[in-house]
Amino acid sequence: MTSLEALRKINARCIHCRACQYAYSNEPDREGDSEEFTGMLLSCPSGNLYAWEGYFNSGRMWIARAFLNKEIEASQEMLEVLEACTTCALCAEQCPNLIDTVEIIEELRAAIIEAGIEPLPKHKKFGEMVSDKELKNPYKEPRGERTKWFQGVVDNPDAKVAYFVGCTGAYRQQHIADKTTKILDKLGFDYTVVSGEVCCGSPILRTGMKPVFMDVMNENLEVFKDFDLLVFSCAGCYKTFRNDYVNHSGKELPFKVRHTVELAYDLISEGKLKIEKSYNKKVTWHDPCHSVRHVGLGIEKKILNESKNWLLDSRAATKAKEAHYNIPRIVLNAIPGLELIEMYRIKGDSFCCGAGGGVKAQFPDMAIKTSLERLREAASTGADVLMTSCPFCITNFNDGIKALKKEEEETGKDLSKLGSKLEVVELLEVLDELL
Amino acid sequence: MSNYNKVTDEVVKKLVAICGDEFVTTSEPLLHSYMARGIMGLEAELPEVIVRPSNTEEVSKILVVANENLSPITPAAGGLSGGFALPTIQPGGILMDLTRMNKMTVDTENRVMVVEPGVRCGDAWRIFKKRWPDWAPPIPDGAPPGATILGDAIERGFSLVTGRYGPQADMIIGLEVVLPSGETFRTGSWALDDAKAFYRWGVGPNPDGLFLGSQGSMGIVTKAAIKIIPHPHFKTIVAYGGDSWENIVGPAWEIGKQEMGVAENTVMVQGGNWPLVMTRWPKTNVPRDYEFYKKIGIDEYWMNSEVWAHSQEELDFALKRIDETYKEYEIKKNTKCPPQSLHPKQVASRLKKPNLIAVPYGLYEAGFLFITWYCPWLESAKMMEEYCAAMENHGFAPTMWVASIDHARQAIVMPILCFDSDEKGVFDRIREFNLETTKSFLKQGWINYRPDPFVHAPETFRKSKMYYKMLVKFRKVLDPNLILHPGRLAIPWASVTDLPNPLEE
Repeated sequence: MTSLEALRKINARCIHCRACQYAYSNEPDREGDSEEFTGMLLSCPSGNLYAWEGYFNSGRMWIARAFLNKEIEASQEMLEVLEACTTCALCAEQCPNLIDTVEIIEELRAAIIEAGIEPLPKHKKFGEMVSDKELKNPYKEPRGERTKWFQGVVDNPDAKVAYFVGCTGAYRQQHIADKTTKILDKLGFDYTVVSGEVCCGSPILRTGMKPVFMDVMNENLEVFKDFDLLVFSCAGCYKTFRNDYVNHSGKELPFKVRHTVELAYDLISEGKLKIEKSYNKKVTWHDPCHSVRHVGLGIEKKILNESKNWLLDSRAATKAKEAHYNIPRIVLNAIPGLELIEMYRIKGDSFCCGAGGGVKAQFPDMAIKTSLERLREAASTGADVLMTSCPFCITNFNDGIKALKKEEEETGKDLSKLGSKLEVVELLEVLDELL
Repeated sequence: MSNYNKVTDEVVKKLVAICGDEFVTTSEPLLHSYMARGIMGLEAELPEVIVRPSNTEEVSKILVVANENLSPITPAAGGLSGGFALPTIQPGGILMDLTRMNKMTVDTENRVMVVEPGVRCGDAWRIFKKRWPDWAPPIPDGAPPGATILGDAIERGFSLVTGRYGPQADMIIGLEVVLPSGETFRTGSWALDDAKAFYRWGVGPNPDGLFLGSQGSMGIVTKAAIKIIPHPHFKTIVAYGGDSWENIVGPAWEIGKQEMGVAENTVMVQGGNWPLVMTRWPKTNVPRDYEFYKKIGIDEYWMNSEVWAHSQEELDFALKRIDETYKEYEIKKNTKCPPQSLHPKQVASRLKKPNLIAVPYGLYEAGFLFITWYCPWLESAKMMEEYCAAMENHGFAPTMWVASIDHARQAIVMPILCFDSDEKGVFDRIREFNLETTKSFLKQGWINYRPDPFVHAPETFRKSKMYYKMLVKFRKVLDPNLILHPGRLAIPWASVTDLPNPLEE
């Protein structure tokens, strides 16, 4: 189990070089198509917006150090600065000293709350609802209705594969949950959905309510312990299981975990799946921070943690991370007719949608402004479709487009260059249609 | 020690009236977020207020307020490129974050750019790449992309072409300076109304030197006109090994002293020893025996040259001449300087600008410090030998980096002191090490570049008393209330501490 104190030495690696503020920080020679998108770019959602040093990771690392050294006391003001971060991990990807920036930020949030500071209002509500035995989700929906959408056999005792639906799939985007089960059917998986599933704890951990997170983590680990494989459609749930459950339980998971896009990738790579139907559209791909960057960084870190010689093994670790970043691209390129046009900031350097880390609920303006920046980048590719595979990215991009359309209506301007005409599409929906 | 006043609510109100509410903060977490200890210096005090002006006029007005209240004021932008841009005494006073001042203009006919303090190297490099691909801004090499061009220049730092052009300050053609009184003036030809910045020495005696290396203690530079350089597209890196510091320093001097021809092509010459590779990784997860590094083809010492040319033919010729020079040196000294086999990725990563090569040393033990010295090039071997021995004696890995300045006339010698910032007593150990090496090096006539106010500054000024007195006189003329950044250089000593003045001992 980790803690802020346990991360003290990792935090102490920060020399305040500010490389973490930029995408492609170590690749400023990178060539883009335009002056706007070339070289390295300031790419911290909160830093870009608020501009004070404390809103960049580089400043947050020094707030953490001051707190660890008892130079600053926990306060509401401090929590507000800390919580205005999507925990996208772009900073972690850039850090030459390999600092676990997001873990430090999350642990600092937890330490502030542990010191007696109230969680921010929206986050506090999440915590209360996820703790509530009748709910166990942040949407205030009855726990008993969690699997209501599912047409198959719930708690099938013969299945060794479980689909971890997540709260958004179960209560808000049931069509994605439904599509996921159809994909699993088509791919030939014998799976079940589990009535004992509770919130994975992602929004709770991100916002510093660690005891609640530990409860739901332990509950899920108990409920799913006998399965061989857990499949996910939610990028956040997937990352939480794959990275955070291991870090916070201090144990390896008793089952394998895979996102549905990765399952498709596995079968495509093994030559067992060939997509025949076409999707004749120009598509640009947005990498969800959770399932792409965070998991990639987790892969790299695991290799290094097991290495006695980082000098020799770091290249292999980076390669493994980059192979993970390529997974969605391999799936997209396996779809006939789909024309993939990449944005400038991709893979580990991808710019966040703006919804993560509790920001969407507590800092809605920041979430929208961030999504608008990403939409503009997506529109600059000339693609018609902005594709991704994360319920929060989808929601936040659609909210951004709504804002653009509203402005178009009010001003009569054509904002298509900013992304107003983009169609936001979940890859899982497309896969279901094509399989 | 100077009697400064604390920043009051009244002062904050005045700052808000100048810059706007949005650009002034006393938020405690935000004040802490600007802190840094390590890499360039260990002394830092928390500022009381941070203000983010957008133009020279606002800078001037802030200085007037600081004077009225007798608040110390520290200008900062990147805060990384040599100057230690944080308050170093209490009360911390006003930290002036100049990052909003980030305008840049480029004149390729006169080969000069004008930058404000907030123009970051990475941004300048990006913009040049698209708009002026045949020209390069003289950005620091090895510094993070967030370092600023102006910061590097006014601190006489190190640029990507220092091997040929000298320290970054030598590239300056003119400055716009706001004096502590709030008065603004320009130097060089720029002093003349409507004149371009084209001639550094301008209309009369040039005061530039007072503001270069003064770490903001004489005035705040709000614009600098700096030479840009041709950016030819035929480039590579070659490296040669050696069995001693002397045998990597010597051949580089043979090339550099030619001044013209191949010496002009070798825009950057820098070297190091094998621990420079080792200490980029965690101490617990990397071999610490040279035998491992030998096996993977790393010489104990090496020097690399970055070579730029306008054509492949010119590049090939330069590389051939470099190789011949090393071979001649081998015969002359009866030694071996084997060419190093560089992976194309190693070459590409060195050619990338700006790059982060100087940053990852935090991994070794969670803390590091660059201590930088200048000396005549051929004396650098002796300095590095002595330095490495002292590092080992004091329990530090002997990680050493060296680079040529101006055709191997001078050397910048920089030990990278890796330490565990959590270790009890480590800062005392660093101080003892610093004091011992400083005393020895000053005796040999070598100069510290980034002084520690309690080690390098007093030791240095003890050996340059008249010079120091002159600096204090200038300082008092320009800044009678001593409000500007009265920290690292300790000019005058009494502005920093109540400890006995080393000059009067």
